[in-house]
Amino acid sequence: MKKTLALLVASTALTAVLALPALASSGEHLTLRERVAHWFSFFDDDDHDEHRYGERRRHHDDDDDDDDDHRGPAAAPVGTVAPPANGLFGNGTPPRVQVN
Amino acid sequence: MKSLLAALALTTALTAPGLAQARSVTLTTQMNRYGGDGAYLAIYVTDPSGAYAGSLWMAGTRSRYYTHLQGWYAATGGDLAQINGITGASVGAGRTLEITFDLADALFDAGYTLHIDAAVEDMRDSPDEIAVPLTTAGAATPVSGGRYIASFGYAF
Repeated sequence: MKKTLALLVASTALTAVLALPALASSGEHLTLRERVAHWFSFFDDDDHDEHRYGERRRHHDDDDDDDDDHRGPAAAPVGTVAPPANGLFGNGTPPRVQVN
Repeated sequence: MKSLLAALALTTALTAPGLAQARSVTLTTQMNRYGGDGAYLAIYVTDPSGAYAGSLWMAGTRSRYYTHLQGWYAATGGDLAQINGITGASVGAGRTLEITFDLADALFDAGYTLHIDAAVEDMRDSPDEIAVPLTTAGAATPVSGGRYIASFGYAF
């Protein structure tokens, strides 16, 4: 029992010795609380848009629609099928589109 | 040889009416610098009675945002079959969208109106931001938008 306890204390001390320099160098201008939060954030691999240290990670959506895995059903993009037969289009030629 | 000529004549006969009844039309939509994400645009047409006649273009591919294109959504219920083959990416602020179609001649000078609904994520919806009658004379006259669209015009 004493041997197990000694091993536990030793491993905890070793971890602390290794972790403290990493904590200290993880942000020159951060408080200890922020450093601890920052260190534990390594274990958080969520990719939510969220506030971190007062800096908002914005999700820019400027004409790029391919970055979302939860889109749901989608219409067929231009050029993959003929336009709908709604009587507006003179023939089956797909529209030609350009964004400048 | 005779069968080849017959086939050629038949295809010409079938194609010619289609060419005669359609004209190439370019829609040009210039976006304002509104300071937001890419705009969703629904471009559609109503008939002389004001009833939905059909869609010409959908800018923006995520169907969950289509409810914000209020006029189009009210007319179609978000039916994706209306925009299969005429859907592209959303349009960024300050950019210009140019689309060239072969449109039916019957749409012009017959009381049809072209509408554009616009919407931007986290910003106010703008239904019917553009509503212009489709006329031959109107092709030369760009119109101003309101919130997201700086100007819109069509040319033959």
